[in-house]
Amino acid sequence: MGTNDMPPVKLKGVGDGFWITVDPQAPEETIEEQLTLLFQRLRHLAINARITLDMGGATGCDELVTRLTAFLKETFQVGVVTLPPEKRSIPVERTRQRDLSRGWKHHRSDVLMLRGRVRSGQKIESRKHIVIMGNVNPGAEILAGGHVIVLGQLRGRVHAGISEDETATVVALEFRPTHVQIGGVAAAGLDSAGNGKAEIAVVEKGRIVVQSYLESNLFDALPWPEVM
Amino acid sequence: MEGRIIVVTSGKGGVGKTTATASIGAALALEGKRVAVIDMDIGLRNLDVVLGLENRIVFNIVDVVNGKCKLRQAAIRDRRIENLFLIPASQSDNKDILTPAGVERVGRLLKKEFDYVLMDSPAGIERGFENSIASADEAVVICTPDVSSVRDADRVIGLLYARSITPKLVVNRIVPEMVAKGDMLSHEDVIDVLSVPLVGLVPMDQQVVISSNVGLPLVMQNDSTAGQAFRRIARRLNGESDLPIQVPSHKKGMWGMLTRKFGKK
Repeated sequence: MGTNDMPPVKLKGVGDGFWITVDPQAPEETIEEQLTLLFQRLRHLAINARITLDMGGATGCDELVTRLTAFLKETFQVGVVTLPPEKRSIPVERTRQRDLSRGWKHHRSDVLMLRGRVRSGQKIESRKHIVIMGNVNPGAEILAGGHVIVLGQLRGRVHAGISEDETATVVALEFRPTHVQIGGVAAAGLDSAGNGKAEIAVVEKGRIVVQSYLESNLFDALPWPEVM
Repeated sequence: MEGRIIVVTSGKGGVGKTTATASIGAALALEGKRVAVIDMDIGLRNLDVVLGLENRIVFNIVDVVNGKCKLRQAAIRDRRIENLFLIPASQSDNKDILTPAGVERVGRLLKKEFDYVLMDSPAGIERGFENSIASADEAVVICTPDVSSVRDADRVIGLLYARSITPKLVVNRIVPEMVAKGDMLSHEDVIDVLSVPLVGLVPMDQQVVISSNVGLPLVMQNDSTAGQAFRRIARRLNGESDLPIQVPSHKKGMWGMLTRKFGKK
């Protein structure tokens, strides 16, 4: 899948609808062009048709799927667009069974866990994740190789994912840092007072985005508890 | 019984360390304790002026630490308040002339001689600060309700904890009117960040400027609100830990205006 000699879009009739295989590597305009060619040939058959959009097992193309779905619905009035049913994977099943039987005991997670107040001028550094039960005062610094979790007010400087890890996150019960950096992406702090909600900072499209931790549901989509 | 050495510090300059040292020292002496106040701000001495003793200086703390004179020769006795002594700073040296070890040695002598020794620390966290805390048993951190003072006090508190000294907090120069309008941090905001035991709240008081200039201890003036606050702080330091902390407030409305008018004569 995804090889160059394959067409970026293939269409196949299945039962009560159509199965479209898309190569997510191809440019989006090419995909839309090819889709237009194929669906124009279908004419009225496309209207209200049930479409299965197969991205060839590729992950992380949710946004492309959303756009293509909208494109198909608007341009050709197709009916329901779904993703292909998930296939079972034997290796995945095996690792999850191991997690269950051993109660995750065979995993190691590197966390520096502290409690107390971090004061101005104090600098906490770790190559691992950092969890602080307490407040981080203005003028304090937290530097973590991984994620940073502050169960309290975060009002100092924070740098998560020091070794250019932009998947790192910063979570605080009250997120008011003077400066926040994740991997190589930095942002100045916000002046606003905390809204009393836990917040999480992540890197999205090269920018730091801060959102309500509970409302973002960032990790609910993970199918299985993962070790960080 | 051995005396206690209390360092008065703040990190930031100009927040009232010297005034607090003079006032608390004088108040403790008025309570009947034998008190020495020591100016550790070598090169920028002020405590002698605030106490009105600048004309009587012969020796200073540098002479004591370097063995040029005896402790008793350098301690200037206050003629108005019994049991209050000042050991002034040297005006011609700089902070590097003293070492923490030297101060610690003199600290042991001071403890035998006095019930309370108050060290007036210089601003900053360098040598002068380290000299001041070298022999301290306790610390009083002075903080004004503004963001930069809180930040510096926080740093100093961290450094004191690193030497296993538990600081006590004084919030100085509170203007209740500004706090009520939201233009000034309240003492709760300050404590929220610093989270150390509070030992007193001192209101802004014009009397402080006057008494510093004329060299008359603030606590001897009964109409000074700041002086009264410092007297209560001294009592709390002297063991009356259950003395309730008074929050400076402003009287509002007709009744307040009337009492203020008639109260002043």
